[in-house]
Amino acid sequence: MIAMLVCLLVMLGLQIVTPYWWWVMIVPFAFGAAVATGGWRAIRTGLLSAGLLWLGAGTYFYLTGSHLIATRMARMFGLGKSWPMIAATAAVAALAAGLSGYAGYAVRGLFKKPATKEPS
Amino acid sequence: MKRARAIISLVLAAAAFWALDNRHGSFPALGKLLNPFAGFWQNGDRGDAIPKTLTVPGLREEVRVAWDEHRVPHIFARNDHDLFLAQGYVAATLRLWQMDFQSSYTAGRISEVVGAAGLRQDIFTRRFGLPWAAENTIRAFRDDPETREAIEAFTAGVNARIRAIGRKGLPVEYKILDYRPEPWTDLKCALLLKAMAFSLTSYNQDAAMTRMKGWVGRGSVIDTLFPLFSPLVDPVIPPGTPLDFVPVPVPSSGEEGAGEGAGPRAVAAGPPAGESSSGAPGQREFASPGYRTGPDLGSNNWAVGGKLTRDGFPILCNDMHLELSLPAVWYEVQLSAPGINVRGVAFPPAPLVVAGYNEHIAWGFTNGTDDVLDWYDIRFKDDTHSEYLYGGEWRRSEFREEAIKVRGGATVVDRVVTTVHGPIVRWKGEPAFTNMDVPAGAALRWLGHDASNEFATLNALGRAAGYEDYLKALESWVCPGQNFAYADRDGTIAIWHNGKYPLRWKGQGRFVLDGSDPANDWTGWIPHAHVPHVKDPDRGFVSSANQAPTDAAYPYYFGWDYAPYERGARINEILRSARDVTPADMVRMQADVLDIRARAVLPRLLELVRSEAATEGEKKCVEELAGWNFEARAAFIAPTVFREFWNELNRLTWGDETTGEMGRMPWPSSQVMVDQILNHPRGEFFAAADQNGPPFGTFTEVAPKALHAAVEKMERRLGPFGDAWRWGKVKGTEIRHLARIPGFGRKIEADGAGQVIDAISSVWAPSWRMVVELGHEVKAWGNYPGGQSGNPGSKFYEDRVEDWAAGKPYELVFLKSADEPDPRIVGRTVMRGGR
Repeated sequence: MIAMLVCLLVMLGLQIVTPYWWWVMIVPFAFGAAVATGGWRAIRTGLLSAGLLWLGAGTYFYLTGSHLIATRMARMFGLGKSWPMIAATAAVAALAAGLSGYAGYAVRGLFKKPATKEPS
Repeated sequence: MKRARAIISLVLAAAAFWALDNRHGSFPALGKLLNPFAGFWQNGDRGDAIPKTLTVPGLREEVRVAWDEHRVPHIFARNDHDLFLAQGYVAATLRLWQMDFQSSYTAGRISEVVGAAGLRQDIFTRRFGLPWAAENTIRAFRDDPETREAIEAFTAGVNARIRAIGRKGLPVEYKILDYRPEPWTDLKCALLLKAMAFSLTSYNQDAAMTRMKGWVGRGSVIDTLFPLFSPLVDPVIPPGTPLDFVPVPVPSSGEEGAGEGAGPRAVAAGPPAGESSSGAPGQREFASPGYRTGPDLGSNNWAVGGKLTRDGFPILCNDMHLELSLPAVWYEVQLSAPGINVRGVAFPPAPLVVAGYNEHIAWGFTNGTDDVLDWYDIRFKDDTHSEYLYGGEWRRSEFREEAIKVRGGATVVDRVVTTVHGPIVRWKGEPAFTNMDVPAGAALRWLGHDASNEFATLNALGRAAGYEDYLKALESWVCPGQNFAYADRDGTIAIWHNGKYPLRWKGQGRFVLDGSDPANDWTGWIPHAHVPHVKDPDRGFVSSANQAPTDAAYPYYFGWDYAPYERGARINEILRSARDVTPADMVRMQADVLDIRARAVLPRLLELVRSEAATEGEKKCVEELAGWNFEARAAFIAPTVFREFWNELNRLTWGDETTGEMGRMPWPSSQVMVDQILNHPRGEFFAAADQNGPPFGTFTEVAPKALHAAVEKMERRLGPFGDAWRWGKVKGTEIRHLARIPGFGRKIEADGAGQVIDAISSVWAPSWRMVVELGHEVKAWGNYPGGQSGNPGSKFYEDRVEDWAAGKPYELVFLKSADEPDPRIVGRTVMRGGR
């Protein structure tokens, strides 16, 4: 839980100060490579932290002035309503982060044994 | 196992990264786009908030901007430099992507944005010479200190905005198309002028007319169907208006058609036999039709003198018809500095106000629709195209290498061959271009290539205090030729069919010309004082609707393919009987939808078809037409029936004349058909109307067949007679996004049609409606289809569309000073210089 929260806050900070989307892949990858004690844990941490971050941010912006643009984007993608854009935003981040978290964990496996204890 | 797992997961993660970080065809880079911190979520309406202060590098003194309820900026500066710098900053704030996209399109660089899909368009643009024309124009800008200052300051303002927004604040289209703006330059402002010149003067039927001449020969058929001066047309300058100049001689190459030919004529020192020639366009190479001046295209303007108005003040009205788009074509602005206080609409990529008013005068445009584009057939010495025949000798061609960068592909280098006339746009064997019927192997002579400085005109108009200033301002306008309607507070009204026009014999350039004969060149210019104009005419009003500028008696020739007669005739019909006119009357007139073509021919048509209606559907259609008041209302069915009936009448009438390759020929314009129906009902063109059936002789027999065919087609397409046939649904007006991004446009059902004053058709419509009363205080009303913001996430992106479609304008806020209180001002910004 703490790991997920730390990942989320690190990504939040990096995304606020830079325009790059791929922090939601880099941070979970780094977590998986450096800290995660298991593959599923790496996936889950990345998936939840990035998914929740983009879900929360998307919802916040949707409610504070971006509903019009979300509606247009939904039409562009052939979706009927605008709320699926929030779901799509969260899903893309979650899937990308989960995958990269696991990749980080798998790469670490090539070089050393997994840590026996994960900070929690 | 570990290694395999690691490699597979790494590959998958890398693939996901790549997939989310890049565009795939037209599918956007999802990672960038959906990123809530820098993607589309950042493009909400938070950008609509009005900042109290802004630091804008380059400003010399403080600039104040008052924003009204429609987000119109009223910019007050203490010097011209700051005024135009602030305009550039504000324009980029409202419309940066639109400005950038339009300039890329005109520069032939659209492949850099969309990839190979844009290549053919870019090749056309480069060959046609739009970037080259813009480079010529920049030189004219730089020669005029005032224009130079305006353009340079505007450019600095745009760049200040580009630097200020960063990547997160980029307009959403950049994020969808995944690219970034490059620094603004004066070339981009010049490209805008050339884009407008292209849009308004590039239509031509030279290739099609040449084909027709090849089949039917020059003579009565062409003269009747495509006359130089059409029947029914009420020209811009009232016939009989006395000339206030002594005409200069026009070229004597002769009588109409002299020197014209489908192929090169024999010349004194012709090439030896066997040398290659581009020759006449081969029949199998022709592009499909549809390139003639669209009958739905055009604009209206008129000015009513004080003797016809209720309060004795002149009133000027203008609605300019362009292709509908979002972001809107125009944005409204007021520009004020010592020596200038002007209000109206501007093009986002350029400084100044294009159409509008100041405290003394008002002006508005319609397109002149003149022929300033000719094609010259070129005989090259051999396939290297390095020499061509001109004036009896071989001249060396010039070559220009055009490097077209293609996103995701290799750069394409196109070698453009240029002759004394201009560039070759299309070669034999090349596929047709989709946007123009270009004769293969012919060189282009287009007025838009010449250096010009139309900004000088706009600058001077914005500062004009009376008629003499207006006249002086018009002198620097070259292309596109426009009908400049004018009214001022002194009571003067006027209209000038203004631009730079080549001196030509009547009909010169209607067909592809022989490029080897210098006698076919443009050899001089009509003096500016000799272009058609009228000031304070007896009838009390001036008007134009893209129709012919003059009747046949005028000493100069300007072209032949003008807009159909209906709008101009209807405007003049209303104004001839107008008395005690008010601005509200003029607003209503701009929304007039009476179809005078239908009014002219329907009684005759109904007479012929009423007893011939056989099916239930045909009877209902006849009944609908018989009860119609000739108004093109969205809720009516009759306009739909009439349009289909009219199309079938034309198809059956001209169909047999246009079989085979001729089937690709354009139809004659509507006034020719109306004239045939009313005045030649047994004429030759109605005979043998159905190529597949037995000849049926006269119009009496054509009309019922047209009705049968029309009803059958509508029933097939729309189902049984009923709600689906309503004009608004069938016409289907659509305001499309500039890059055709789905969901970013808007569909509406609106009254109007191409041939009525309120010319709202499916994609072309009044892009700006304006009514200005030149009283003690200048008052104005206006509206346009769209909104001030270019941000699709803004409340001001398309907030005016409903009112515009309903013909409702807003009273325009026109301030005397930055701090003038006005309840419609909703916010004020102070701009200061800084780093």
